[in-house]
Amino acid sequence: MSDRSAPRYTLFGLGIIVLVVALALVLARPARSDNATKVESAGVRPANTLQSLAELDGKAPSRRQLNIQSWNTAEGARVLFVEARELPMFDLRVTFAAGSSQDGDVPGLATLTNAMLNEGVAGKDVTAIAQGFEGLGADFGNGSYRDMAVATLRSLSTPDKREPALKLFAEVVGKPTFPEDALKRIKNQLLAGFEYEKQNPGKIAGKTLFNQLYGNHPYAHSSDGSAESVPGITLAQLRAFHAKAYTAGNAVIALVGDLSRAEAEAIAAQVSGALPKGPALAKPAEPAEPKPGLTHIDFPSKQTHLMLAELGIDRQDPDWPALSLGNQILGGGAFGTRLMSEVREKRGLTYGVYSVFSPMQVRGPFMINLQTRAELSEGTLKLVQDILAEYLKNGPTQQELDDAKRELAGSFPLSNASNSSIVGQLGAIGFYNLPLTWLEDFMQQSQDLTVEQVKAAMSKHLAADRLVIVTVGPTVKQKPLPPPTDKPAEQPLGVPEH
Amino acid sequence: MNALARRAAGLLLGTLCLPFAALAADPQPTHEFILDHGLKVVVREDHRAPVVVSQIWYKVGSSYETPGQTGLSHALEHMMFKGSAKIGPGEASRILRDLGAEENAFTSDDYTAYYQVLARDRLPVALELEADRLASLRLPADEFSREIEVIKEERRLRTDDQPNAKAFELFRAMAYPASGYHTPTIGWMADLERMKVEELRHWYESWYAPNNATLVVVGDVTADEVKGLAQKYFGAIPKRAVPPAKLPLELAEPGLRQLTLHVRTQLPSLIYGFNVPSLATTKDPRPVNALRLISALLDGGYSARMPARLERGQELVAGASSGYNAFTRGDSLFMISATPNVQKQKTLADVEKGIWQLLDELKTTPPTAEELERVRAQVIAGLVYDRDSISSQATTIGQLETVGLSWKLIDSELDELKRVTPQDIQDAARTYFTRERLSVAHVLPEESAHE
Repeated sequence: MSDRSAPRYTLFGLGIIVLVVALALVLARPARSDNATKVESAGVRPANTLQSLAELDGKAPSRRQLNIQSWNTAEGARVLFVEARELPMFDLRVTFAAGSSQDGDVPGLATLTNAMLNEGVAGKDVTAIAQGFEGLGADFGNGSYRDMAVATLRSLSTPDKREPALKLFAEVVGKPTFPEDALKRIKNQLLAGFEYEKQNPGKIAGKTLFNQLYGNHPYAHSSDGSAESVPGITLAQLRAFHAKAYTAGNAVIALVGDLSRAEAEAIAAQVSGALPKGPALAKPAEPAEPKPGLTHIDFPSKQTHLMLAELGIDRQDPDWPALSLGNQILGGGAFGTRLMSEVREKRGLTYGVYSVFSPMQVRGPFMINLQTRAELSEGTLKLVQDILAEYLKNGPTQQELDDAKRELAGSFPLSNASNSSIVGQLGAIGFYNLPLTWLEDFMQQSQDLTVEQVKAAMSKHLAADRLVIVTVGPTVKQKPLPPPTDKPAEQPLGVPEH
Repeated sequence: MNALARRAAGLLLGTLCLPFAALAADPQPTHEFILDHGLKVVVREDHRAPVVVSQIWYKVGSSYETPGQTGLSHALEHMMFKGSAKIGPGEASRILRDLGAEENAFTSDDYTAYYQVLARDRLPVALELEADRLASLRLPADEFSREIEVIKEERRLRTDDQPNAKAFELFRAMAYPASGYHTPTIGWMADLERMKVEELRHWYESWYAPNNATLVVVGDVTADEVKGLAQKYFGAIPKRAVPPAKLPLELAEPGLRQLTLHVRTQLPSLIYGFNVPSLATTKDPRPVNALRLISALLDGGYSARMPARLERGQELVAGASSGYNAFTRGDSLFMISATPNVQKQKTLADVEKGIWQLLDELKTTPPTAEELERVRAQVIAGLVYDRDSISSQATTIGQLETVGLSWKLIDSELDELKRVTPQDIQDAARTYFTRERLSVAHVLPEESAHE
């Protein structure tokens, strides 16, 4: 639900090190295990040898019922609240339309402003602020992406913890002092991050792709800005950006946890009242269609990173359910998608291949990304393009669509099982101004889709010859792809309909 | 910025964090039982949402492997998705996907684990599939020939093309001279090149027995329900003798080891690791818990000593972190890593000096009560926050059980940490932060090689 196209790699200069230690704990992160659509399979067996599967009643599973309450604060912030009394804690997530698409001609301004929130408030420096939160056991978080900037607080709900944590949070978000020494330090850290990114072919590919896809549009540049833009950013610019973009009218307040409605209202009023006064910022302009074509960047890695993209849709687009379901079949899940089946399962060419639509305030990208050994990169690229072209031409099969609907219905209970997932959903509903029934609506619309509708939506928004492609890797002599496994396709065991 | 702080706190809390009686929230009932053939089952009830996570943990990982056969545990993990008696290759994933489940697996040096997260009514399917591949894995040769290529891609992606990951792999090989922790979990490329499916069959037959596994189920279930299902699907799998598993013990004081690497990076960095015991290998938990507190004092939040002094006060580093995993089957490492602040012309030598100042201070000066209280507040809150995720609850239980500790340790977590005195912290620092226990890696940009 968040702005997936723009992960926050802001402080990766630090992240490296973090990574090194994290690796000590769990070296091999979950190995993506596999599978395939229309799975090829050794040996044919009668269906329903799985007793448990036969015994499922085929009904869509029940799920946690959310009573989403919503109101506006006196200053105009939209509030979404779900009461969850089971655990003595709460999550607060304040989202501003203050991402890098609002940078203007100063790339990195939004990120720096966000990163500076907790560096100083009246009477407290950065360490005192950190001690304040940590001494209460509270977690403060912040982050800045293309569309949005967020500030979050997780705290115990008991008043002796909650109240001081909220007081500090309101100051940090609403009245930061932006100390000069902190700005210098954080700029240096960002610059270290840019240096670090140069060793990462995936990062290089991602940055180049957005440049090619968005041209002069504000989505083109990295949220972090660049080594050229960051050093010149001034305190005055940060203050002006904060005054304009961190206003109550530009904010959505999401709250989940051990709070009454009255307590939630008081918290929202407190946060909203601490913010600068002002209206919501306008969305960025619509991006222009990019020029299709391939850009290759030579890089001394063992693998070649491949990214393929087109402009997709904005968050309000009525085709979103159809595209989401269509993409789920093409390459949207970890397992069993067409791309994963053909590229990994049948040919062993990659560890992972994924496609994604990232609907944003204005048209976000549709992207496919993967990596493969350099000598097979051209053949693999061609294979991926062919899979996409065939899919756009013929659409999904009825079986694929039915399976995808079942999957979606089955996974629905997982989507709101924890407070942290609920607060994320509330934030997105509020930020993109979706109806409170959005989750249910989306589910219903998805279940009603036909093969023709999915196919029509996919081919309306995507075309096989419009791809913007970026490859990053060494230039080496190419080899032909290995032949795919020739096992006959086999239907999976019957999963009950519903 | 604060993602950092949270992550750092996670190093302290992440592996160990379930709340029980000590806390304000109603405790969540947790039950354990052992089936006749030795499968241990732990069930933890969490009825907030009609979902459930099932994890099975096998006591086998890369620290069990021998030279020439590295990467077997992880490769076997991949092949566990390639069919068993009741289903064909990839079919289990397909079935689970259609049910809306999330599933995956992970391998570490101490364990191999498989999980499914799904709507509560689908739990029997997850258990039947899991039992089937424990009892009757197929391991087809043609599937292996493709999957090993996928694994090599995984290695290229995560290690060979990641200069810092590669450096860390070599660092570990140096820092663990005696134990199987020397071995990278994904395996050395030369061993992947010569791995045979027969070796995987042998590995599977050696270690994948019900009496070498722990099943953890957390979510909207009852113990009776899980007991019935576990008995039904796992009950008939025969018990089997497994090879003796020796704890990965290290030399206490192997001597100072140093490694200089030139990799494709723009920024230099530094890795420190001190050979230290874990909770599973120590006779006295006190120094181990002291090390955990030291890690929190150094890097347990944005107000901790490393960010406050090295990153901000002295502006010595662009970033630095410390980490200590006390929950390993064998002896562990106390890790520190850092990247110098090159914009301020700081060098690795400056950074090393700064780190030793922090370490020496721990030896001579007790932490303030206020500082310790802050760490404690984070631990207490973390115990509650962790309950928001059924998966992290299950992972904590599974990991503790699999490294030879009890999940019940969670109950005493807070008390154990409270028992650590300022004197314990100084003693631990003096004992463990010595050159004889230290491995150092200097990871440098390639250009420096020609200077």
